[in-house]
Amino acid sequence: MFRIVASVLVIALLAAACSSSEPVEGIEPPAPVTSEEMQRLLADSTDPVVVNVWASWCTPCRSEAPLIGRAATEYADDVLFIGLDVRDTPEGATAFIAEFFPDAPITHLSDASGQIPTDLGGSRGVPLTFFYRAGGDLSYLHFGVIDERTLALQVDELVNG
Amino acid sequence: MEFTLLAAAAIAGAAAYAMLWWEAKHGNAARCAGNLWEIALVSTVAGIFIGRIVAMLVDGVNPIAHPMDVILVRSGVSTVGASVGAAAVFALQARRNTITMADGISAAALAGLAGWHAGCVVRGSCLGTASDLPWAIAQEGSTVTRHPVGIYAALLLAFAAILVAWWKAYRRPPAGSPAAVAIIAAAGTRLATEPFQPSISGGPVWFYASGLALGVGLLLWSVLQRRNS
Repeated sequence: MFRIVASVLVIALLAAACSSSEPVEGIEPPAPVTSEEMQRLLADSTDPVVVNVWASWCTPCRSEAPLIGRAATEYADDVLFIGLDVRDTPEGATAFIAEFFPDAPITHLSDASGQIPTDLGGSRGVPLTFFYRAGGDLSYLHFGVIDERTLALQVDELVNG
Repeated sequence: MEFTLLAAAAIAGAAAYAMLWWEAKHGNAARCAGNLWEIALVSTVAGIFIGRIVAMLVDGVNPIAHPMDVILVRSGVSTVGASVGAAAVFALQARRNTITMADGISAAALAGLAGWHAGCVVRGSCLGTASDLPWAIAQEGSTVTRHPVGIYAALLLAFAAILVAWWKAYRRPPAGSPAAVAIIAAAGTRLATEPFQPSISGGPVWFYASGLALGVGLLLWSVLQRRNS
């Protein structure tokens, strides 16, 4: 038993040593956006849009972020991905983007008041993921952490529906 | 929303327990259904968390730096990590009786997997790729009809579970062969349904194919062992 515990501790220390919280240079903080601007952006979009609402202090947002980043890269030609950072600090938001979306084709916007998701028909809780058809019609709204199958299905609905 | 995952897990657990209960009355080879249930439960829970940690590592998230992320299993569980982890924990508990215990749990494991896939009805995640087959269904507000791929998997696994349970109860299969057939059924089902699953990065088809090969190898080995004895 001692060997097992010791092995786990050594692996844990190595894993911790491999981690890095250094922000990547060149990451811009999300641009502030108002509710009206957001709704206009969705209505004017000629492509389907996925709006993922996140915050750097939100643990569930962290857990789904890698999946959102992969999906944005995979569907970059067909779907516009918007990351809406709510009730956050610029430093926290920048570090979050640097950690999870350094290269993902995602447009990051910020809503300091956290009102936009509610205005769009969601709630103040995060994470939230909105799926819009081209022109701004809401196709699906997912409350909470999204899983890969649901994300893939709803994006497929946007692209092929 | 997280409660739907728990509901699906409860359906899976109930299906596995019901199968063990039925088998206990019809001569389960392991003859210790309660013990098997506990071992299966520990293996499953351990497998889920090992699979979650593997998924985090693959995504570049350090589980030591972010331990709370480990419990958010909805964000993704590595099938490879979960399967290998659960099998390893099972073998660790069963020790020298691994083959006998694996045979004992084979039908219940398939029933549990069938229950898990049937739980897609609760989770709202049954739909797969687009299809115009007569039984294809559309999600609410959509005109695109789709394969009910979760139901396909549940039916295939339920059929395999009943087949293995019947085989064990009314025939004398060689030691190791019910477990082998269960591995073949589980891997084969995932391999057969994967093309119908919506996915961002694709499922681990190589792993399902390896599982199928492992099951066939184990089946051949068990049959040869019976002949040689």
